[in-house]
Formats: sequence, structure tokens, C-alpha cells
Amino acid sequence: MMPYYKFDYFSFDFSLVVAFVIGIGFGFALERGGFGNARILAAQFYFYNMRVLKVMFTAIVTAMLGVFYLSWIGWLDMSLIYLTDTYILPQIIGGLLLGIGFVIGGYCPGTSVVSASTGRYDGMVYLLGIFFGIFVFGEIFPLIENFYNSTPMGKVTLPQFLGLSHGLVVFLVVMMALGAFAAAEWSEKVMTKKLGREKE
Amino acid sequence: MKCPIEKLSISKRLAIFAALMGILALFIGNPVNKNKITVNAKELALTAIGNQDEISVMELAEWLIEGRADFTLVDLRDEKSFNEYSIPASVNIPIENLLDSDLMRNEKIILYGEDDIASAQAWFILKSANYKSVYILKGGLNEWKEKILYPKLAENASSEEKAEFEKIKQISLHFGGVPQIVSGTTTSNVIQNVQTSPAPKITPPPASNLKSAPKKKREGC
Amino acid sequence: MSTLSGIFSKNEVKTEEIVHQPKPYSNPYLVGVGLGLVLLAAFVIMGRGLGASGAASTVVAVTVSKVAPEHASKNNFYKEYLTDGTTNPLKDWLVFEVLGVAAGGFLSGTLAHRVKRTIEKGPNVSNRKRLIYAFIGGAIMGFGAKLARGCTSGQALTGGALLNLGSWAFMFAVFGGGYLAAYFFRRQWL
Repeated sequence: MMPYYKFDYFSFDFSLVVAFVIGIGFGFALERGGFGNARILAAQFYFYNMRVLKVMFTAIVTAMLGVFYLSWIGWLDMSLIYLTDTYILPQIIGGLLLGIGFVIGGYCPGTSVVSASTGRYDGMVYLLGIFFGIFVFGEIFPLIENFYNSTPMGKVTLPQFLGLSHGLVVFLVVMMALGAFAAAEWSEKVMTKKLGREKE
Repeated sequence: MKCPIEKLSISKRLAIFAALMGILALFIGNPVNKNKITVNAKELALTAIGNQDEISVMELAEWLIEGRADFTLVDLRDEKSFNEYSIPASVNIPIENLLDSDLMRNEKIILYGEDDIASAQAWFILKSANYKSVYILKGGLNEWKEKILYPKLAENASSEEKAEFEKIKQISLHFGGVPQIVSGTTTSNVIQNVQTSPAPKITPPPASNLKSAPKKKREGC
Repeated sequence: MSTLSGIFSKNEVKTEEIVHQPKPYSNPYLVGVGLGLVLLAAFVIMGRGLGASGAASTVVAVTVSKVAPEHASKNNFYKEYLTDGTTNPLKDWLVFEVLGVAAGGFLSGTLAHRVKRTIEKGPNVSNRKRLIYAFIGGAIMGFGAKLARGCTSGQALTGGALLNLGSWAFMFAVFGGGYLAAYFFRRQWL
């Protein structure tokens, strides 16, 4: 039964090998998508290259459908997949900061690793920046610990929160994603004409 | 029917596929019905015959003393009985709440009730719902009381039996029990007294003596 | 043919687009499906999702503990990333995963002739400024990622697929924050 690791199919040490292999897949996909390049990542926020939205939401929809259907046929025990607790306020504030950092720096943690490994100096500097940011966070942690732990909601999913069935939420997410893709395609067409540059 | 699909770009084909999967999901609703169970009768029967899923009270007592925390001990009785007395480190989950509880399918679960019946029924329910490691405390709480809390040694026992009893006595005292030596004639009186005395409230050994428990590894981002 | 165009120059330089024939990037939807399958593999094999900022946190915590062990062990944040001394804290799933990400990125880049020592930036900003911005952006993001308990890989992708409430809120906040800030930093990119 899946998830295999939770049913002791293999040891912790072997899971580290699995981690490395999965990481290779992750890094490969990111680079293929052009996410090792800050200009493409930042372009998302200027509406002329919407790759970030397309790749991210396609990935989310794919994995979401996979989890849903594998559970449905009884192969996967969804309840054993780790779900992070929701702390709604710090997560929203953190998200805003992340978005700002994204535009200033041009990367997010995963993509900066890919960028650094394909030779970009700005990616490497960005990584150093991340270490520094985490260090600052760690040092002032005692001061912000209360905020960090505020508004806990436990492990809650959208279906639980909205009181809708899992399948209905899946459907809504798929529809929203498809709508977003259509808007993205339109936006790219309009903006590339406006900015007069080649779509990368 | 082939032509219109082939004319579309791969992106559009993916979009249609996703939309169809989404619509199907809408009709499926909830992929997992927690309360439905499917029984593989043969498998269950074989496990039952093997008696592999039984734990004796002595074993459990030893594990608790050692501080092992790699299992979850479940008390299947109602809340009132649980509050009166329960085996240390157990959680109270009445049988009807078992499938709704926090129990995970990959953890080791030991069930006990007043006697064997409730735990056997609960064992069946959990095994059919794909819980992988489910065990029954043989004899239930009655056995625990008899063997651990109030163990008795006959006055005219052999020296071997007396030596054995020493060990049992230590275990019993650890749980706040009352070991006793009884002679043949006064047994019945003693039993009566024993049953009316209030069961001792025991603080379970601190959960920090984790010997065999797997360290909870962070799984977040 | 690539040129290192004055990376450490102090002047405002208008860099030309480097003439080069790397392979064009793949169809984003296909890449998305591939990425989604990698994520699904993680769910199915490990019962957990992907991540990146957690590995960085582990590295920071380990470094701090090597330099100032007492301080680290007293701090509630660093403590979480250090073990009780019995195992090496770097034997962490995310650390190995991130090493894989570096390897995979390099592999894909090499196959597509996209590995190049350069600085990615818009035409209207100098290299020095770009690097400074990169560092600041990274710092802000590192801080934000810890507040949110994750970054786009861990929270947005993983939590998104699992329909985690906090993750979706986070995702919207990221896009919101990005679009809000975009106007102020357009010089760097456009």
C-alpha cells in the first residue's frame, strides 16, 4: 500500500537515496521549464511570460488528480501523507514577503539552486541571501515566536474548511486552473505585442 | 472521431483530459469512505489461526516498564469506566469511534476491553479497514487485574513458583497493585476484599524513555 | 559562444543579449505534468512532498551549532533542525533532495546547452546592482519562507496538491506580494 515508506518497505537510509533521485527529477523539470533563469521567473509578474503560473498550476493539478484517483482505487492511503499545520496569519505574511523577495531577487529557494547549478552567479548570491535571511530569522526567533505560532488551525484542507466534498474541490481547482491558463495565454499575446519583444 | 482530437495542440489535449478528470472527480465526491470496509476473509482467517495478533498482559507490563512507546494502547470501554481505572498510557477510544479516530494505518495498535470480546470485534473492524498492525491484549482488563494488579500466590506453593512470584510481585508493585499470598480457605474472602478496594491511580512512566520508538522526523518543507 | 560581460564592472552597463543557441525551453504544460509526476512520486513513495527552504534551514542551524553550540541548543528554532546528537543532522531528507535538485538542474542544463556562467538580469540595471538585489531578495524570501513554514516547493506545490488551506492562502499571498512589488522593481527586469 502506498505511501511505501510509511509501511516500512524500506529504511530511513534508503529514503535518503530516494530523496536524491526525486530531487534529480525535480531539478531536471525545473530547469526544463526555464526556472533556472531569473528573467523568466520575474516575467510572470510583468505579464509577458506566464510560465511560472502554467508550470506550477499544471503540476499542482497533476499531483492533486493523482492523489485523488490513487486513493479512490484504494492504492494510496491519503491520511498518511504529511500535511503541514495551518497557521493562517504568519503564512499569509510570509507569503507576501516571499512574493516581494521573488520580485527583488528573481528566484525562489528551489529555482535558485537550479540557477546556481547552471552557472548563474545571481542564483548563487541569492542562495547566500536565503541563508542570511534564515539566520536573521533564527536569531530574532525568540522575539517573534508568539507571532510565528499565532492563529493555528491544525491540519485543515480546503474540502474540510469549505464543507465541500473532496471531488468537488478538485473539480473547482481544475476549472480555476484552466481558466487561469486561458487568461495567461491571452495576457502573453497582448503583452508581447505591447513590449515588442520575442516570447522566450 | 480521430481528426478533431489530432488537430488540437498537445496543450489543448492536456486541458481536455484534465477537465474530464475534474468532472469525474466531481461525481465521485469523496474518494475514501471511512466507514466502509472490505474484508479479505481468507487473509483474516489465516491471521486469526496463527495467534500472532495476541499479546499477553505480562508482555505488556514489561513493555510499559521498559518505557517502550512504539505502540498505541487503546481502551475500548466507555468513558466512565476509563476514568475509573485504565492501564497506564492508554487512550480511550470506544469501539464505535475507532475508524474516526486519529489512529494511523501504519502504527502498532494494542486493543483491550473488559474481556476478549470487545477487542476481538475491534480487531476485526480495524483489520478490515486495512490497519496493518493490530493486536489483542489476551484476557483484557480482567486478565490485567488478575495477573498484574492482584496476583496471588498459594501458601503452599513450590519454591520455584515462589521465585517466579517475586518477579511478578515487582511488576505488580510498579503498577500500584496488591500482590498477595493466600491460603486455601481464606481465598474467597480475600478476593471479595480485593475487588472492593479502589483501584490505584498510577502515573504512567514518562514518555521520554523512548527506547524503541522511531524518532519523529520533521516532514515539512 | 559565451562572454562574461563585465560582471564586476561598476558602471551602468547596457548588456547585449548574448547570441547563443541554447535549446528553447519546453512546453510549460508538459513540464508542469512532469513536475506534477515527480511530486506524486514523492507522495506515493515517501508519504511527503518536496521542499527546499527546509534544507537551507538545516544548513544554517548546523552552521550556527558548530560555531556557537550553546546558543543554538537554547534557541527553539535551531533546535528543531538539530538532532539529539545521535545522528548527523545533515542526514536529512530535504538536504539530500536539494542536492538532487542541483544535480538534476545541472544535468538538464548541460543536455540543453544552457549551462553558462552569467548573471540573469534585465537590460537596464548593472551587474552589481543585480547581485545586491539578489542577495536582498534572497534574505527577504528566506525570512518569509520560515514564517510561512515553507517556500513555493513545499507549501505551494505540495500543499497545493493536497488542498491544504494554509498552503493555498500562502500561494495567493505570494502572487499578491509579487504583483504588488513588481511595479517598484520593474527597472531591474524590463
